[in-house]
Amino acid sequence: MYRYDNYDQQIVDERVAQFRGHVARRLEGKITEEEFKPMRLQNGLYMQLHAYMLRVAIPYGLLSTKQLRMLAHIARKYDKGYGHWSTRQNLQYNWPKLQEVPDLLADLASVEMHAIQTSGNCIRNVTADHLAGAARDEIEDPRPVAEIIRQWSTFHPEFAFLPRKFKIAVTGAPDCDRAAVRFHDIGVRIVKNALGENGFEILAGGGLGRTPIVAPVIRDFLPREHLLSYLEAILRVYNLEGRRDNPYKARIKILVGALGRDKFAELVEAEWQQIKDGGLKLTQQEIDRVSKFFEPPVWEKLPDSDAKVEAAKLSSNRDFARWVSNNVIKHKAPGYSIAMISVKEKGRPPGDMSDTQMDVVADLADKFSMGELVVTHTQNLVFQHVKTTDLFALWEQLVKLDLATANAGLLTDIICCPGLDFCALANARSIPVAMAIRDRFDDIDYLSDLGELSVKISGCINACGHHHVGNIGILGIDKQGVEHYQISLGGSPGNDASVGKILGRAFPQEKIVDAIDTLLKAYLTLRTSDDERFLDTYRRVGEQPFKDAVYGDH
Amino acid sequence: MSFLKPSHFVVSAGYTDDGAVAYLRADGSWSGNLADAAAWPTEAEAEDKVAQAKKQERLVCDPYLFGVRVDGGVVDPMTAREAIRAKGPTTPIRRPDR
Repeated sequence: MYRYDNYDQQIVDERVAQFRGHVARRLEGKITEEEFKPMRLQNGLYMQLHAYMLRVAIPYGLLSTKQLRMLAHIARKYDKGYGHWSTRQNLQYNWPKLQEVPDLLADLASVEMHAIQTSGNCIRNVTADHLAGAARDEIEDPRPVAEIIRQWSTFHPEFAFLPRKFKIAVTGAPDCDRAAVRFHDIGVRIVKNALGENGFEILAGGGLGRTPIVAPVIRDFLPREHLLSYLEAILRVYNLEGRRDNPYKARIKILVGALGRDKFAELVEAEWQQIKDGGLKLTQQEIDRVSKFFEPPVWEKLPDSDAKVEAAKLSSNRDFARWVSNNVIKHKAPGYSIAMISVKEKGRPPGDMSDTQMDVVADLADKFSMGELVVTHTQNLVFQHVKTTDLFALWEQLVKLDLATANAGLLTDIICCPGLDFCALANARSIPVAMAIRDRFDDIDYLSDLGELSVKISGCINACGHHHVGNIGILGIDKQGVEHYQISLGGSPGNDASVGKILGRAFPQEKIVDAIDTLLKAYLTLRTSDDERFLDTYRRVGEQPFKDAVYGDH
Repeated sequence: MSFLKPSHFVVSAGYTDDGAVAYLRADGSWSGNLADAAAWPTEAEAEDKVAQAKKQERLVCDPYLFGVRVDGGVVDPMTAREAIRAKGPTTPIRRPDR
């Protein structure tokens, strides 16, 4: 993984010292909240319903075990003993005290981490495919590209005050988008051209929120050396032309929609022509320098283990068999597997992890996954490089930690924002709904029978829980001070991207789980075979049968 | 929580030190307990208190008012948001002691 050089460490350390001064002045009453607010936001510190919240950046979700142990230490020392994996591969602490935040940031800096640009109208933490570097279907590891973008965008002076926040995602697997690139301000897809050369397909103007839009492709193939100059051109056009009069109309998706894809691409092209051969042109030397940090680990030369994985799915230990079936993914290296660690244990909010769990997971990653792990935007963790012969031993340890839930990609693997229990923007709670669904549908055989099915829950239209791209999306709304929940169906974040369609009137909290139950029963009746996924059935039959099931004749 | 109109108004903010919920008492001090909050019968009175609270920025951040129903001396927030602010998250917290 990327390691800070002296320059990186210096700017992060200096930022901590600078913020320590800001906090001291705020606590001494020398600056007002209005003056302090932009500075705390630039350092990832929000004020939520009950406390401050600090969002820690985890570039493209990649963590060393040393970093994870520090996150555990911080949860223990400065918070209430836990952290919350966010829906953008970050970690959020819900209870830091203002006076202690500078020390917290200094601890983070000691392991090459920070909270810079995790808030505010700037380029946010770059995300990527969580299977990057291990996925069998990738044509190139996207993390060097993500890291190059991270370095370019960090403290970029021209883009520190954009019209709105700006999110970039990268994938190196053309046939399977696990990074939801079509729902980002910029999506970068590594693709091959007709000559077999790797380059980038660039998408711009996607997003969720109150105006969900699938990003259009604005350039089919961008040669590698032009990545940064092209991104700079997009940002320049957005910075200049994007609306600043209305925050709800300020994202780049609104600009692209207003101008039209062709006109927007034309403006970008014109800007790019002026800068493409300037200082941002990537040299092979620079690409090689960054790529060196992401060279594959030294995998042992092992025989192919696909047959072993298939055999494990039929193990007499049914719990282990279920876990392998649902949570283990084939690795690019023979003899290795990828293990998805579900952070969706029963009785806990999705994505919450205790300090103790973090410490033990770090030990397990050292033992079983070459000292690294990845945070997913689905609020789980990935051990990327597990010897297939070690899967059972790993699973046994995960069981002890309540982290062996065999539900990856199934109904209860719910993406869920913090909602009204924590978030100052939310209209309704989302975590209790997720936990109620988790409780109701606890039969792993039933979940497996339902098959691939995503539920995503947001507590407000800002859509941090990605409800627009859930096969079943749930949006919390406020009706005269009372929480209600609106269901949408048919969303998908992947290559077959689609925005879910609202099914009908919203349900009060006490009826939402029953409504989901009814939808599931309708699906089981409607599907043509066990292999027809919920999304396929919905696309085949449309919304009406589901509407009839849920609302009846009313 | 309903279509009822508020009978009173309460002033709230977040403590600067830790962001915890704060309610303005009648004597001008702050409490973390909604039961201690002063309930003003008119929005104008509460707005006046908000303006005064904005001068206590070292102590509290972003003061605002919200409507409540007061019945038998009990202050009842009229929205899920304020009910949750008053009682804390409804989800399990790992270590609520700190």
